[in-house]
Amino acid sequence: MRVVARLLLGPSVVVAVALIVKGYTKVGDGFAAGMVVGLAVALNAVALGARGAEEALPVLRHAPRVAAAGAALALVSGFFPLALDEPVFSHRPGPDEKVVSVGTAELMTAVSFDVGIFLLVVGVVTVLVHQLADPDQEHST
Amino acid sequence: MADATTDATTDASVAPTSRPRLDVQGWSCCAAAAAGFVVCLVGWLRGGATVSLPWAPTLGVRLDFAFDGLAALYALLATGVGAVVFGYGARYLSQHLADHGRPRSERWRFWPWMALFAVAMVGLATATDLVLIFVFFDLTAVCSYFLIGFDRERREARTAALTALLVTIVPAVALLAGAVLLSATYGTFSVPELVERAEPGTTTTVAGLLIVVAALAKSAQVPLHFWLPRAMEAPTPVSAYLHSAAMVAAGVLVLGRVHPLLARSEVVLTVLLVVGLTSIAVGGVLALGRDELKQVLAYSTISQYGYVVTLYGMVGAAASGAAAFYVVVHAVAKCALFLSAGAVTTATGEDRLSHLGGLGRRLPVLAGATGVAAATLAALPLTGGFFSDELFFGAAKEQGPVLVVAAVLAAALTFAYIGRYWMRLFLGPTGTTPAPLSRVLVVPVVLLALVALVVGVLPAPITQLAEDAGAVSHAAPVALSPAYHLDLRATNVMALAAWTLGGLLLAVTGLRDRASRALAVAGDRLGPRRAYTASVLGLRRWSGRVHDWETRDLRSSIAAVLVPAGALAAAAFASTPIAQAYSVGPISGTDWLVLPLLALTGVATVVAARTRERLSIVLALSAVGFALAAVYALQAAPDVALVAVLVETMLTLVFLAALARLPGTEPRRESAPRAGRRWRDPVIGAIAGLGAFAVIWGYLSEPREAPSVSADQIRLTPAAHGKDVVTVIVADFRGLDTLGEITVLLIAAVGVATLLRRGRLWLPRPGRPGARRSSCGWSPGSCWDRASWSPSP
Repeated sequence: MRVVARLLLGPSVVVAVALIVKGYTKVGDGFAAGMVVGLAVALNAVALGARGAEEALPVLRHAPRVAAAGAALALVSGFFPLALDEPVFSHRPGPDEKVVSVGTAELMTAVSFDVGIFLLVVGVVTVLVHQLADPDQEHST
Repeated sequence: MADATTDATTDASVAPTSRPRLDVQGWSCCAAAAAGFVVCLVGWLRGGATVSLPWAPTLGVRLDFAFDGLAALYALLATGVGAVVFGYGARYLSQHLADHGRPRSERWRFWPWMALFAVAMVGLATATDLVLIFVFFDLTAVCSYFLIGFDRERREARTAALTALLVTIVPAVALLAGAVLLSATYGTFSVPELVERAEPGTTTTVAGLLIVVAALAKSAQVPLHFWLPRAMEAPTPVSAYLHSAAMVAAGVLVLGRVHPLLARSEVVLTVLLVVGLTSIAVGGVLALGRDELKQVLAYSTISQYGYVVTLYGMVGAAASGAAAFYVVVHAVAKCALFLSAGAVTTATGEDRLSHLGGLGRRLPVLAGATGVAAATLAALPLTGGFFSDELFFGAAKEQGPVLVVAAVLAAALTFAYIGRYWMRLFLGPTGTTPAPLSRVLVVPVVLLALVALVVGVLPAPITQLAEDAGAVSHAAPVALSPAYHLDLRATNVMALAAWTLGGLLLAVTGLRDRASRALAVAGDRLGPRRAYTASVLGLRRWSGRVHDWETRDLRSSIAAVLVPAGALAAAAFASTPIAQAYSVGPISGTDWLVLPLLALTGVATVVAARTRERLSIVLALSAVGFALAAVYALQAAPDVALVAVLVETMLTLVFLAALARLPGTEPRRESAPRAGRRWRDPVIGAIAGLGAFAVIWGYLSEPREAPSVSADQIRLTPAAHGKDVVTVIVADFRGLDTLGEITVLLIAAVGVATLLRRGRLWLPRPGRPGARRSSCGWSPGSCWDRASWSPSP
């Protein structure tokens, strides 16, 4: 199970990225992608123990910041039109304008909003796993 | 006043261990209030202004602010009295915190609320939209809750704060109801527009009564007066501000604002008159017998606002103007009296009249200033109080002999209780020897006394202000002419009669005290406070019973969700026509795949219900989830299916992780389930299950074309550069909803962190170098010390 857990992390991130990138044209969106990565993290936590998982993946300790960054990104993507005197969630480029696309990925603010959701979900799930996986930690610090 | 901060105490021997450091927050609040006062003054002299911005246009709610005479009067009070009180409080609070051994950082629990209080008061004064008025009205109540409960370690302070909140906020709902009623009939929340449109009639009467209830509760009028004396648990600056310029004034402010509407109904005016006169009497008689300084002043406030309410109950230009004049003069005098009471308590450590006396010899300046304030309440010449009573008598004279007698009796009562207060405090044998007082605690009192004297000599500016304010309340120009007349006109005779009667009351101590005590006992036995206590206790008991019943164990909690859900579905089932609503459609195509999956779901459910092994239950449940996800996928809802699979996986994982932590052995049943219990779970499950079944079947039988919104969204998806409708809806069309939802996620994480780890989103592993940096989460908010924020009941 440990081996599987470690092996799965890489592919799961790839799948998540794919889900987001294709999100606007195919099935899947930021939430699903975030859940995929969150699952990988949770699997690691179950397999290695919360402590083990965090030692193996030191990146995880940035989770709160990732969540905050996601919320900020989503907020900015949603509310920047206010600065331009348009209703919120008027995405750019607007309807009937040309969209720069890289492969199937389209560069537009709706997608950045989706990325924000993704980051937030990953961050929150990781934090929750961290909080719930090891309840005996309360008095250790 | 700024130089007064430098000499904090004149005598080092009685000063607290160290000279308190400058209260920066307090003085900046004071400076801000003073600046606000200047701005309001300039605004008034320039003739005011109106601002109107759309807020919720579909509901007809606007951000309507008008800086008219009434707004100017109350805004000037809130900022002017605010500046004085804040200056006093800057010194008082340091001492208060030092005396109670509380850290200086507690100031942050005080000054922001005080500042918000002032802002809410100015907002309430200028608001002319009923909904906006309601919002500011409640804002002052919330501020007062935190300020009254400032000494939150004391039980009395906490209950007093809760009482003040409940008694003022619950009737405030009546204000909202009245506003909605008026808006439903006349199509606007704006007070000036309502004044134009509203006609005398049942609607106006009922709405007026509702608004009056809220305002009277706020102004602590009988029978909802009992919160005010209890609120004396607050620190002195709070009491002073609450009584003179904020909270309590808010009630009469609202009365003054909507008075043109109220004047259209005789019933409302009669109610105002009766309640006002009763409050004068009850407040005055109880003030006569009280021993605690602040209690005397609290009942005095009830009585004094009774004057204002009575004046609003009389119709006429004179009455409206007199009410405005009265509010100003009373605010100045009452604020001075409170600040002096606080100074006396600080100097002597005593707060009872029976332990005090003869302070005039030790604190002559304070005695003089307090004397002026007391004389103002007693309406002696050369103080502003004389004119306010002259106007009061003048207005009463127009209403007939009954009110003339009532007015004279009211003034006599006031004269008696405030005379008793001052004489017991400053004359007679010395009770407790006072310690020298900081000048900062005396200067504000002197300042306010000077204002009262100036008004007594030069009433013109206040008269102008009161005329402007009265014009708003009366909806017509008001002319006041307070002046000294050395002849035997009616108002002078009435004043003389009041003083004589008051003097008599002062002289016959025995009868007076007995009467006051009898009323106090009767009030305690039968009074509204008892009803309040009983209703609060009853509510708590009821809530406790529901809570016990609902959360006695996990099953009850689940039942509390399932049974109402099933019952609602059953109600819908019973109330909608079912002819042809439930049909069995043809089975074709992918349906043949769906059926086995559904069968699998059924089997797994039965397994989950019957099996006793934990692991099997978890696996069976996840089988249910995955099978349903597959059904979604086949029903052309791949996005839902994807999310369902992911969530199901996560749940299973969490379950497994939780199982790993459980003790190894299965818990043994203590005893066989009772006969009733055995059937309870299946019955609950059946109710909920049948309800859900009926709803889904009904829905699937009639797959209507969903109304316009979804079709539009599908049509517009390509224009939004997307092909996946669900994603586009989530990220674009309903983006704001999504934002709200992900915010909930974040809040959930913070909530879990707060419950489990004292607000830390991430705890470093012990012994790992470099981990310390990240011990705090991502914002200052995640590192707060989890001290409780509020005075809990």
